[in-house]
Amino acid sequence: MGYLMPGDDEGIDAMAEASLPAAPRIRRRHLWVPWLVALITLFLWWLVTALKLFPPVALPSPGAVVHQLVVTATIGYSGSTLWADIGASVGRITVGFVAAVIVGVPIGFWMASNRVIFAAVDPLLQFLRPIPPLAYIPVMVIWFGTGELGKTVLIFFCTIPIIIISAMSGVKNVQETRLRVAQVFGATPLQQFRYVVLPSALPEIFTGMRVGIGVAWTCLVAAEMIAAQSGLGSMIETAGGELQISVVFVGILFIGLIGYLMEFIIRTIEHRMVPWKGKA
Amino acid sequence: MIELAEVTKAYYGAKGQDPLVAVNGVSLTIQDGEFLAIVGPSGCGKTTLLNLVAGFEAPTQGRVELDQEAITRPGPERAVVFQQPSLLPWMTVAENIAFGVMLKAGRVGVDPHQLAHMVHMMGLDGFESHRPYQLSGGMQQRVAIARALMTEPRILLMDEPFGALDAQTRSDMQRFLLELWKVNRPTVLFVTHDVEEAVLLGDRVVVMTARPGQIALDIVIDLPRPRQWDLVLSHEFNQYKRRILQVLRPDRKSSRIG
Repeated sequence: MGYLMPGDDEGIDAMAEASLPAAPRIRRRHLWVPWLVALITLFLWWLVTALKLFPPVALPSPGAVVHQLVVTATIGYSGSTLWADIGASVGRITVGFVAAVIVGVPIGFWMASNRVIFAAVDPLLQFLRPIPPLAYIPVMVIWFGTGELGKTVLIFFCTIPIIIISAMSGVKNVQETRLRVAQVFGATPLQQFRYVVLPSALPEIFTGMRVGIGVAWTCLVAAEMIAAQSGLGSMIETAGGELQISVVFVGILFIGLIGYLMEFIIRTIEHRMVPWKGKA
Repeated sequence: MIELAEVTKAYYGAKGQDPLVAVNGVSLTIQDGEFLAIVGPSGCGKTTLLNLVAGFEAPTQGRVELDQEAITRPGPERAVVFQQPSLLPWMTVAENIAFGVMLKAGRVGVDPHQLAHMVHMMGLDGFESHRPYQLSGGMQQRVAIARALMTEPRILLMDEPFGALDAQTRSDMQRFLLELWKVNRPTVLFVTHDVEEAVLLGDRVVVMTARPGQIALDIVIDLPRPRQWDLVLSHEFNQYKRRILQVLRPDRKSSRIG
């Protein structure tokens, strides 16, 4: 092998290609672990109920829950099917959450770029933030009744502080050098925003959205348990009153699954839109 | 022609604290097409000087002018290559290189031939659709230089552009920069802390001393071009180096390393 001279890149590349083995296979064995854990949990659950350690009123068997799932999904429970309740909950959270993002992101941007706006909004934000959203529920019922509007407004108000703060800190994290690059090339303020500020803020906005959707979902289910005629929260509240524990389990199962699914959807969009997150 | 006249730059901290004087009474003229290297220890205000010419900052006292007009803001005729990574990770290599042209003329205003030529010249063929974070440090810096050259600026401001690179890549990049400079002859203001780099590249080297930053030596490097890498071994080269080092490390004590 001869000595490589400066700039002799082709030589390096050719050598590397000639002697490279096939791409190593990534071990995917760990991907089984969650499924294994789920299976073991299911088995233990079945074992506990089969041994009748608890009365069936308190802990239904896996079989009873599956049976109940089929019944609520087809015939329905208390006048509405599982799908109708899921639809009601998902509809509310979608409207409330999307509205919070549409309104919250510009407010966050505005606060980050204008000290007067920041001074006007920030104290309110800091005051509202530590209040558990559940404390608003009575206000919601008195102002808007038990209809759709109240719950949508509730989701809006419990999500928007998170979105505003993430958009604001996203803008504040813009690297000075990147902004200067745009300024050197004579970028207009709008161009600076479009090509530097907005993309810089996106990762943080997505983090805020992922936190926000969890909070929104939690407070929606709680609100539905207190004041609603439909939705998953309402379903488990009614079933609890009637000691229909397997319906409650079906409800809990779907609340968990949907919460997980919504976070997953946002994460997927994030991967698409912010592929550089964590890398630069 | 870039002209700095009695320029002082101070940063004011909290009330009651003395302001930090980064640059103190610097006067400097840079002719068109000149390759000027500014060398000095860290904290000597050399980056501040470059920022003043770039228009990122305004002088506390004195004048900073380009062709007899005060510099008040950044402008496309003064392209900057930054020390820190400055590529936009949401854009591909090609989009980053074309960024300046795109801002001015829109996406359709980017000449694909000019872009392809620039990519080729920088040895970035095949990496056009890569993202910056998929490239090595040396390649990233080449993209940054390509981006600065794409708008065909009259003036190139370079702030320790090769500071973060390993020795091999660094000398490749130096050679490469001189090749480019030979073609278009932009005015170059090259900030570095590496004396050898300054002498190797510059027509003229300005040596600054630590805080408050002042010019301690302004010396014309009368070495023939094109310069070869083995120039650094020559007697003349080392005499220039010695003179500069004597200014940077005047007493025997601070020049002892062991």
